[in-house]
Amino acid sequence: MTQTPDRAHAVAGNGGGVVSGDLDDELEPGGEPAPRAPLLRRVPWLRVAIVVGLVVAGIALAYLRSGSGVVVMQAVATGVLIGGVYGLVAMGLTLIFGVLDIVNFAHGSFLALALFLTFWLVNGHGVHPYLALAVSVPAMFLLGMLVQRGVLSGAMGKPLENQLLITLGLSLIIENALLLFFGANPRSVALPGDRGVPILGAVADLSRVLAFVGALLLAGLLFLLLQRTRLGTAIRAVAANDVGAQLAGIDTRLIYAVTFAIGTACAGAAGTLVAPLVTIEPTTGALFNIIAFVVVVLGGMGNVVGALLGGLIVGLAEQLGGLYLPGQSPLLSVFIVFVLVLFLRPQGLFRRAA
Amino acid sequence: MTTTTTREPAAGRVLPRQPWNRHLIAIGILGAVLVPLPLLLPPAQSAVAVRVLIFALMSIGWNIMSGFGGMFSFGHAAYFGIGAYVSAWLLVERGVSPWLGMAAGMLVAAGFATLIGFLALRYRLRGAYFALATFAFAEMLRLWAINSDLVNRAVGYHVPLRPESSWWYLQFEPGSANYFWIALALTVAAMAASVLFLRSRAGQFSKAARDDEDAAAAIGIPVMRYKLYTMALSAAVTSVAGAFYVQYFLFVDPDLAFGSSVSIQAILPAVIGGVATVWGPVIGAAVLGPLNDITATILRNPPPALEFLQGRGGLDVVVYGALLILIVLLLPQGIYGALRGRWSRR
Amino acid sequence: MRKTWTTGLALALPLALAACGGSAPAGTDRADGGQSGGTIKIGSLHPLSGAAAADGQQMDNGAKLAVEAINNAGGIKSQGGAKLELLSADTQGKPEVGQSEAQRLIQAGAVGLVGTYQSAVTANVSTVAERNKVPLVIDVSSADSILAQGYKFTFRVQPSSTVLGTQGAQFLDEVAKAAGRPAKQVAIFHEQGPFGSAIRDAFKAEAEKRGMKIGPVISYDSASVSDLTTQMTTVKASGADVLMVSGYYRDGVLVAQAADTVKPGLDAVFGVANGAFDLPQFPKEVGAAGEGYFDANYHPDMTKPETQALAKLYQERYGDEIRTGAVLAYDAVRVIADALERAGSAEPEKVRDAIATVELDTLIAGDGPIKFGPTGENENATPILMQVRDGKVKQVFPADKAETAPVYPAGR
Repeated sequence: MTQTPDRAHAVAGNGGGVVSGDLDDELEPGGEPAPRAPLLRRVPWLRVAIVVGLVVAGIALAYLRSGSGVVVMQAVATGVLIGGVYGLVAMGLTLIFGVLDIVNFAHGSFLALALFLTFWLVNGHGVHPYLALAVSVPAMFLLGMLVQRGVLSGAMGKPLENQLLITLGLSLIIENALLLFFGANPRSVALPGDRGVPILGAVADLSRVLAFVGALLLAGLLFLLLQRTRLGTAIRAVAANDVGAQLAGIDTRLIYAVTFAIGTACAGAAGTLVAPLVTIEPTTGALFNIIAFVVVVLGGMGNVVGALLGGLIVGLAEQLGGLYLPGQSPLLSVFIVFVLVLFLRPQGLFRRAA
Repeated sequence: MTTTTTREPAAGRVLPRQPWNRHLIAIGILGAVLVPLPLLLPPAQSAVAVRVLIFALMSIGWNIMSGFGGMFSFGHAAYFGIGAYVSAWLLVERGVSPWLGMAAGMLVAAGFATLIGFLALRYRLRGAYFALATFAFAEMLRLWAINSDLVNRAVGYHVPLRPESSWWYLQFEPGSANYFWIALALTVAAMAASVLFLRSRAGQFSKAARDDEDAAAAIGIPVMRYKLYTMALSAAVTSVAGAFYVQYFLFVDPDLAFGSSVSIQAILPAVIGGVATVWGPVIGAAVLGPLNDITATILRNPPPALEFLQGRGGLDVVVYGALLILIVLLLPQGIYGALRGRWSRR
Repeated sequence: MRKTWTTGLALALPLALAACGGSAPAGTDRADGGQSGGTIKIGSLHPLSGAAAADGQQMDNGAKLAVEAINNAGGIKSQGGAKLELLSADTQGKPEVGQSEAQRLIQAGAVGLVGTYQSAVTANVSTVAERNKVPLVIDVSSADSILAQGYKFTFRVQPSSTVLGTQGAQFLDEVAKAAGRPAKQVAIFHEQGPFGSAIRDAFKAEAEKRGMKIGPVISYDSASVSDLTTQMTTVKASGADVLMVSGYYRDGVLVAQAADTVKPGLDAVFGVANGAFDLPQFPKEVGAAGEGYFDANYHPDMTKPETQALAKLYQERYGDEIRTGAVLAYDAVRVIADALERAGSAEPEKVRDAIATVELDTLIAGDGPIKFGPTGENENATPILMQVRDGKVKQVFPADKAETAPVYPAGR
């Protein structure tokens, strides 16, 4: 906690952040994975306990403030569900952040693209909304590959602001191309059989619950991919030290492209999963972008499971914050939590301070 | 991330002695050459020219902190907005001249920057983390302003129109060349300030700290203090742009003042023109300012081959985005950076 | 070597563009400087791209149809049958772009402007109009502050926030009492911007005067809100019997979804100037969840044959259902055309004076013809009450504008 957090940044800066689906950084500087410890022991229990304690205190305070158990229950349920969606969107972003060291402003636009793709499949071809995943994920994977090879590879290692502007340009192109092709009318995708389901005295739409479950599954899949496959090992190696990884015979250019593609594919999956919950407009993705950045920092850059947990915290902060400060924007409480975390634990809530 | 903190000195980037006086003379000449411009341009183009100068002013401010100081700010909207709101509030609620409002805005912005800077440096934020922290502060100001009665909530302020022109209240006939000249004078002053800053101890020390903080600290430079000076100056310059914006556009609301697009607008000209160069922000603003209007104009009256594109909303922005990417990819050091690279290699 | 080449190319690119751009706007002047050669130019400023592009494009289309109709009917007869030409500009929803585009249109010879949808943009364009002495007829932008500046060249066709909020409360009271279930406690959702806050204030004042209890009042950020379930639960727990909602499209949909999930047991969900509940796509998007929703809003008077004809033409031409904004833009252009006709001159200041004395039948449901008061506010502008019935938006109140009778309570 008191150890200088900038060390973590320096390490991250060397090779582009530390990606691990893991809750800890288990890589040696050389890029070789450390001997695998049992999963349970690698979880930073104390930190998780502190965070959980703070969340419980937050809920108790909200109860004192509003005085209605039903409302607080609903706020918690909604916060958790919506937090799952935020985490879902942030997962791809955190992966790209961690490995390529790029602040990807176009992530929300990729999400919007997936939303429109889903809309087109569902309303144009009668595909079930969740079956659209079979198209949106591979399509976005390919697109991500093309974008990284074609546009971003020229900016690798360049200053932060250059990459920022390139991805900003990309997002302008995607959003306005969608506007050109689909027009500006808001669209929607209906989930057959969507209805409210009761959860411990609160209610939520089935589609939200399913999106939340989808977020959990996706986080699990990414975790397995990064921890248990050769590709994942290579990605983590490049993230920890790209020069070292190259010396060890890893094609870093390929890994960069594949990682960006996986990140974009995550945006694709997120887009299809949230399609039934949102109004589909070219600018819809931008709504999620800012929150996704907050989530990425909360969870620790490059930390996929951290992104999910960070999403939950942001979701809860937003919903409970609305109860604490009724006259203020719920986002204000999100940013307050964000700044506090930045100052106290800039390496993210769930990562060891190197 | 480290790219911003330890910027590699590119070929010809760091000269042993910067020719400061030559910079100052060149700035003076540029200012003098541009004086007759509003008399030559039609009114709508003059409006674009004033907009270019406002962009330039914002970006000169950003460049002091993020270019020369190496602290990447993604929240300069905070300072722009403070400049805009302080002067608007003083004028509308208290009838204070915008010139005094501008000075007050500079003070408040510098104070706020020092506060943010102190917190961010105290907790040793760097690179993307520092950028996101600055962003968060700008965003909090926006959200606060939207719901605060003190600054008229989301409605913002209209600057009351005056019956006649007034230098004291900074209001002239529409399309008056005075607007351009004032903006030009402010921009020239800001450029001169950034040159003088670079020449000063504070500038030299904060560049040293940018290039190698540990070494700078080791030889006894009070890094924190000079970084805070840099931030305060940067914020003050950008706040002037905000104060002038309000007087020129006669309206401000929380999104116009503190929105994230404002922060992006402060970054764009410097990156296109050349980060950490005296001339970059101005050159970048001169290229970017009209770019939007140009793409819109071309698409409005397209050449025959492109006629099918006419009247499709959003296309001009697509073209703008594509040009942005092209410029950044082809000229990663910015226009001025690339030019200087060419010259010094010769 | 290669580097030199790319640098040169990249430099040449913006410069070449700048060169084109320098000449292009000047080129717009070539078209006979405004009024002399038989065409009179009117500027249309709307957000054709960006978040509000859907409405902006509708409104631009509405203005185009008006120009077309006037030209087909023989143009401006008092000026030798001069034809109108519409200059469309994209504000991108940004005030500074709106400002320079307004300058450009005025420079290109526009004798009147219509626009602009977003209040921040309208505020800016109205100062440009005022200082250049060219009239601006606002089609959509309800913020009271715009016309509170004492500007002489700005007029507004649609009702102001105050009128909308006050009338909304009146309609609710009358409809509920007529059904024998007076509204006792009204909860309010509103977007936190100037628009939603102004409607809330006016509604609250009038409703309390009529003996209704107001609360809870909940505001949200329409740009970022993604769920309103918790807020809806708060309403349910408060025991309110009516929910008033003032906001835009996306958040309106969220309200309907939240009410469908939470089942707050309300007599009615009652929109005031709501950007969703009276749009044709609202019932399509939310399905049965939106059935019975009210909206007190300015709206095209669909009982008029002219309005029906315009709606049909719009559908044929643009393949989309016409929205209120497009009809307002259509009317705004007609106001300028009528003023041109009576002024007998295309001098902007004379056009302005003629607009100030306009009395023109409107396609929007109101208390009478378009007629501007001293501040430029349309004195006869008023909302009407609509309700979603069987997946269609129907006019239900007051009786003379009603396509069918209101159903109250419309239980949720």
